[in-house]
Amino acid sequence: MSAAKAAYRRYLWRFFPTMLAYVVIVLGVSWLFDNHQEPAGPIAYMLAILPAIPIIGVIVIMGLYVVEEKDEFMRMRHVMALLIGMGLILSLTVAWGFLEIYMHVAPLNAFWIFPGFCMAWGFASGVLAWVYR
Amino acid sequence: MKNRLRVLRAERSWSQADLADRLEVSRQSVNAIETGKYDPSLPLAFKIARVFGAPIEQIFSED
Repeated sequence: MSAAKAAYRRYLWRFFPTMLAYVVIVLGVSWLFDNHQEPAGPIAYMLAILPAIPIIGVIVIMGLYVVEEKDEFMRMRHVMALLIGMGLILSLTVAWGFLEIYMHVAPLNAFWIFPGFCMAWGFASGVLAWVYR
Repeated sequence: MKNRLRVLRAERSWSQADLADRLEVSRQSVNAIETGKYDPSLPLAFKIARVFGAPIEQIFSED
């Protein structure tokens, strides 16, 4: 069974340290912006973008799992979960976008798109794991 | 596609996990193939045939 789960183990070993790096960077950047030494100029932009790097890393890690997973059924299940997650979050955000245009509802902070995708993806993964238990 | 995986497994007293080990896939994969929820690729179908020592068409058939 170990050969069958090697790609998944690698995925988890990449995923959790990257998320830990994200938390550390967010805390560090927030501390810098919240404290009196508020950064300014191009440095401030670079610092503000810094937390996005581990998030982009997580997206790459999700893609690497698709490439490295040898178990074709598990790969199909992972791709389906990703597509369902993307479909759900794109549907919600495009609907909200039109509500913003025509109904002037509160604008959605783009930051929430990735956490929203993760929730939708997690939900889809759970449903697929139950369907194909 | 219909398949005889359950019967072939029973003849050898293999659990789904035993077959999964031999195929180097997850138990969920074996279950999905066995219950007809997932049709394996040609390479995996050949591997299944090799594990059971039978030609593909004796294991899988069209609906």
